[in-house]
Amino acid sequence: MVTIYIDGKPYQVDAGQNLLHICLSMGINLPYFCWHPAMGSVGACRQCAVKQFRDENDTRGRLVMACMTPAVEGLRISVQDPQAVEFRASIIEWLMENHPHDCPVCDEGGECHLQDMTVMTGHTYRHYRWKKRTFRNQNLGPFINHEMNRCIQCYRCVRFYRGFAGGRDFDAFSNHNTVYFGRKTDGVLESEFSGNLVEVCPTGVFTDKTFRKHYTRKWDLQTAPSVCVNCSLGCNTTPGERYGQLRRIRNRYNFNVNGYFLCDRGRYGYEFVNSDRRIRQARLRRNREAAFESVAPDEGLQRIKEIVKKSGRTIGIGSPRASLESNFALRTLVGPEHFFSGATVKDHELVTEAIKILRDIPSSMASLHEVETSDAALVLGEDVNNVAPMAAYALRQSVRCKPQAISQKLKISDWDDTAAREAVQDQKGPLYLATIADTRLDDMATRTFHASPQEIARLGFAVAHQISPTAPQPENLDSAALELSKMIAQDLKDAESPVVVSGCSLEEKSILYAAANVVQALRSIGKPARLFLTLPESNSLGLELLEPGSLNQAFAIAREDNVEAAIILENDLYRRSNPALLEAFFKSIPSVIVLDSLDNPTAQKADVLLPAATFAESDGTLVNNESRAQRYFQVFVPQDDIKESWVWLRAIGDALGQEEPGARKTFDGLIADMVKELPFLAPVQEISPASGFRIAGAKIPRQPHRYSGRTSMHANVSVHEPQPPQDPDSPLSFSMEGFLAEPPIEQPPASLIPEFWAPGWNSIQSLNKFQEEVSGPLIGGDPGKRIILPPDPEQAAYFDEIPEPFASRAGELLLAPLYAIYGSEELSIHTPGEAQLTPPLRLEINPRDAQQFNLTGETVLQVSVDSQVFELPLHISASIPEGTAGMICGLPEMPYVALPAWGKVTPKPVNSSTENPG
Amino acid sequence: MIREILAAFTGLSTTLTSMLDKPVTIQYPEEKRPVRPRFRGRHILHRYENGLEKCIGCALCAAACPADAIFVEAAENTDAERYSPGERYASTYQINLLRCIYCGYCEDACPTEAITLGLSYEVSFAGRDKAVYTKDMLLEPAGPQGKSTPQQTPAGVYTRSVPVMENPAD
Ligand code: SF4
Ligand code: SF4
Ligand code: SF4
Ligand code: SF4
Ligand code: FES
Repeated sequence: MVTIYIDGKPYQVDAGQNLLHICLSMGINLPYFCWHPAMGSVGACRQCAVKQFRDENDTRGRLVMACMTPAVEGLRISVQDPQAVEFRASIIEWLMENHPHDCPVCDEGGECHLQDMTVMTGHTYRHYRWKKRTFRNQNLGPFINHEMNRCIQCYRCVRFYRGFAGGRDFDAFSNHNTVYFGRKTDGVLESEFSGNLVEVCPTGVFTDKTFRKHYTRKWDLQTAPSVCVNCSLGCNTTPGERYGQLRRIRNRYNFNVNGYFLCDRGRYGYEFVNSDRRIRQARLRRNREAAFESVAPDEGLQRIKEIVKKSGRTIGIGSPRASLESNFALRTLVGPEHFFSGATVKDHELVTEAIKILRDIPSSMASLHEVETSDAALVLGEDVNNVAPMAAYALRQSVRCKPQAISQKLKISDWDDTAAREAVQDQKGPLYLATIADTRLDDMATRTFHASPQEIARLGFAVAHQISPTAPQPENLDSAALELSKMIAQDLKDAESPVVVSGCSLEEKSILYAAANVVQALRSIGKPARLFLTLPESNSLGLELLEPGSLNQAFAIAREDNVEAAIILENDLYRRSNPALLEAFFKSIPSVIVLDSLDNPTAQKADVLLPAATFAESDGTLVNNESRAQRYFQVFVPQDDIKESWVWLRAIGDALGQEEPGARKTFDGLIADMVKELPFLAPVQEISPASGFRIAGAKIPRQPHRYSGRTSMHANVSVHEPQPPQDPDSPLSFSMEGFLAEPPIEQPPASLIPEFWAPGWNSIQSLNKFQEEVSGPLIGGDPGKRIILPPDPEQAAYFDEIPEPFASRAGELLLAPLYAIYGSEELSIHTPGEAQLTPPLRLEINPRDAQQFNLTGETVLQVSVDSQVFELPLHISASIPEGTAGMICGLPEMPYVALPAWGKVTPKPVNSSTENPG
Repeated sequence: MIREILAAFTGLSTTLTSMLDKPVTIQYPEEKRPVRPRFRGRHILHRYENGLEKCIGCALCAAACPADAIFVEAAENTDAERYSPGERYASTYQINLLRCIYCGYCEDACPTEAITLGLSYEVSFAGRDKAVYTKDMLLEPAGPQGKSTPQQTPAGVYTRSVPVMENPAD
C-alpha cells in the first residue's frame, strides 16, 4: 500500500497498480478505450491522460497515460487539470474524425462506450467536415455483424480474439489511417468466444446478429439476473426481453465464475425460448390412438387428478436441465422413493460419483476463476472447448501464469500487457491434455495424449503414483505413457497452485477416480492442488443431490409393480435412453404426464402435456459443476398457459388434496420446505434475499427508468394501460417503478441487479461502479453459494479401480463419445445460427483402422452397437487412437446410444434396406 | 343622478360599438382557425420524394417521450421489400394521443426529421381505443413523384445505414 494524491486528495492504493485501474476503483471517472479490465493496458489510445507532478511545488506537471503509469509512494496526479481535460477532449475529437455519426441506426447506440466517453470528456462540436474513411464490411457468420466504419482503432478486438481467446482467423490489417479489423476473407469466425467481441469493442463495429433480427434499444429491454443453461459451468447472464420475446443474452459479471466473458453457445443459445416448437397450451388425448387436443389448464389438471387418484403409484422422473425447485417439487409430489433421475444411467452414476469425490475434498474444488489463475493444469478426458467452453477459456489464460515470473523479474507489471507478452514471448506454463482426439486447445498444450478412455484413466493413475508412491500404480503401462506421467507429475509438483480438470464427458468412472487421486497425491505432499470437474448439464449436480433413483430402476418398477402414472419433468427421455427400452416403458405405464417447454419425442408420448416455462420465464436455482447454487429470475411473465414447472407440480398437489403446508404456495415457501427436508441445501436459501426484500420500501425494477412506450405498447389489446404483472416470488418488479440504484451510494445486492447501469455509464463498462475494485468481486459479494462446503472429512483413501489396459478387438471398434459445441446440447441447437454450425453426422476412424477394415474416403458405414444399427458417413481422422472410433453425441438426428461401447463397423452393403436414422 | 344616467349610456354605447365589430368567434367546423407555423398538433410521419419513409425505426422519439406514448418496433429492410432508405424501418409505430402532451420532444429527437408535430388539432375520438394512432394513420401519403411502401429497389443503391442528408450545421 502506498499513498498517492489525486487532485490533492490522498488515497491508499496498491503499489504498482496502474493509475487508471486505481481511479476507476476509487470511483473517479476517467475516460479510456484501449485498456480493458480483463485485458490490461497497452497505452494505445491516449484517452486516459492525466497530469503528473514531480512534487507539491511542481505546478507545470506533465501529461502521462494513467493506464501506463504505476502508483508509487507520494505520486501526485491531477485528473481535473485543464490541460489534461483539454487533451482528452481533443483525443475524442480526433477519434471522431472518421467515426460516422450514425448512432440512431447503430445497434450499440444507448449502450456504447464511445458515446459515454465522448460525453464524459465534454467534447461536443467537431471541426472536421470532409469525407470520412470508409471500409467494406465482412460477413462474419451467423453471430456477429461487422460495420468497420465505426472503428476507433483501440485494438481491443484483436487483442481479445488472438491474445486471450486464442483465435487465429482474425487480425488487424493495413496501416496508418486505414487499419482494418477482420478476417482475411469473409467467413464464420472460428473462435467459440467470438461473441465477446460485441462487448469488448467499445463501438458498434461488432454487434449481435441474432439480436439484430429483433432489435431493441438497451433501455427498452426488461432484464433480470439469470444463469446460462447450456452447460454445467453456470455462467451468469443477463437476458433481455421486450414485447413477450426474448431478444438477447449478455454477460453478467461474476468474479468466481465467468468474469467478463461468455461462450457463443451460451450467448446465442437463447432462441429456443421464441421457437414455434414451444408448447403453449395444455394438451391431452383420450387414449393412445387418439389425437392430441388443446385444453384449458384446469381441464388438464382435472385429468391428472383422475389419473393419479386411481393410481396406486405414481413415479416422477426429474431432469438435469430443470431447476432444483422443480425437481424438488416433483420429488415431494411423488415421494422420494418414487423419484428418479432423468439423466442417462451412466450420467446418473458418474455425477453421483463426482459428488462423492467433491464431498471428500470440498476445500480443493476449483472455481472457474481459480482454473484461470492456476499455474499448471492437467486435463483428463475432457474436450473442454466442446463440453464446457468457458473452462477452455480459463485454461488458455492459465498457461500465462507461470511465465509471468519472467516478466516480473524484469519488473514488468502484470497489467502491462504488451510488455509482459513481449518478455514472455511464446513461453507457456504447463498444460497437459489427455483426450480421445484433437481439441481446439492443443495449440496451448505442453503435451497432448490421445487414447481410449481407459488409457486416459491409467495415465491419470500413473501421474498420481509418480507424485506420491502410496497412490496405486497401473500395471503394464507402456513406456511412452510412463515417461509422460513422470513429466506431468514433475510439472504439477513444481507448480504453486496446480489444477486437474476432468469430468463426465467420456462416461468413464475411472477417469474421475484418477483425477481425484492426482489431487489427493498433490495434497499429500502439501500442494494446494485443485479439482475441477465438468458435468453433463446445467443442473446435473442439483438433480443428483436430491438422491433420485436411476432411470433403469424407474423402468424396472414400471415393469414389475403396477405403476399407474409417470410424471416426466422437462426431459426428453429419447436423449437419455435406448429407444427400445423407452417404447417398452411407455407401453407399461397407463398414463404419462409430461411437463416441458419444447415439443419433442417424449412430449409426443404424453397422455397429458403441460406447457412449462423456460429459464427466462421462471425463478429457480441451478447448481453448477462446483456445487455453486445460483438463482435465476423470471425475465418476463410467460404467455398463454405456460407456467413454471414447480407451479404446475404444486397445482397438481393441490388438485390431489395432498396435505400441503400452506407456505409452499410461494417460491420462498418451496425453498424453505426443501431446506427443512434436506438441511445440506441451506445455502440455497441464502443466495438471494427472499421475496419480501425491499429497498426503501420499494421493489427493484426489471425495466430501466428509460423504458419507452409503456402507455401505447398494449394499445392494440386495450387502451387501458394494464397493471404490470405482480411478482410474488421475488423482490423484482415487472415495471420501471421502484428503487433506482445509484452505485456506489446505494445498490441492490449483487444477486438482484437486473442490469448494470450507472449515470454516465450506459455500456457494460459500468461494471466498475459495482465492483469492490476493478475486475474484483462485486460489492457485497458475488451471487451464488457453494453447497458442498469445507471442512474436509478425513483424508480419503486413494481409489484403486484401475482399468485394464486397452486392448483392441478384432472386427470391432470402441466407439467413444465426441462432442460438438453446437449440436451436442439439446436447447441451443434451436438457434438457427448454432444449427447452421453443427457438424454433420459421421464416424471418425483412425486411418490404420480404416485400412484394416478396408474402408476408404466416401464410404457410408453400418455401425451396430447396443442392439441398434446406424448408418454414418466415414471420416478418417489421424488423431483418433487406433482401435477406437469417435461419434459425436447428442446430435438431434441421432438416437441415444450409451457410449463408450464396442461396435461392429462395416461398409454399408450396396443394396442395404436398413433405415438411415439420419 | 345625471352621472348615473350618463354612465348607463357609456356602457350601452360600448355594447353597441362592439356589436358592429367583426366577431372573434368563427363558424367551426365550416370555418377553421389558422394556426402559427410552429404549432404543435397531431403527429405526421413523413416520406421522401420517392415515397420511401423517413423513419428508420431508431426509437429515439420513444426514448425522448416524457409520456411514454410512443411505441416503436423495428424490422430490417431488404431490396425486395424496402420501406426506408436505411437498414431498418419501423414495423410498428404507435402513439397514444391520450397520453401525448404535445411537447414536441419526439420531433427534436428524430435524426431524420421523420416525425413532426403537424398543424392538425382535430384530435377527438369517439372511443378511447380510437386514440391510439397507428403507423398507417400517421404516415403521410406518397407524393406525386413517389410510390408507396414497400418498394422493390435495385440492389446496391441503398447501402448506407443512414440516408445521406445535408449537414445541419451548413
Ligand atoms: S473494431 Fe472495435 S475493438 Fe476493434 S479496434 Fe475498432 S473500435 Fe477497437
Ligand atoms: S461455458 Fe457453458 S455456462 Fe458458460 S456461457 Fe458457455 S454454455 Fe453457458
Ligand atoms: S409530443 Fe411529446 S408527449 Fe407527444 S408523443 Fe411527442 S414526445 Fe411524446
Ligand atoms: S420517427 Fe424518427 S426518432 Fe422515431 S423511430 Fe423514426 S427515425 Fe427514429
Ligand atoms: S486507456 Fe490509456 S491509453 Fe488507452
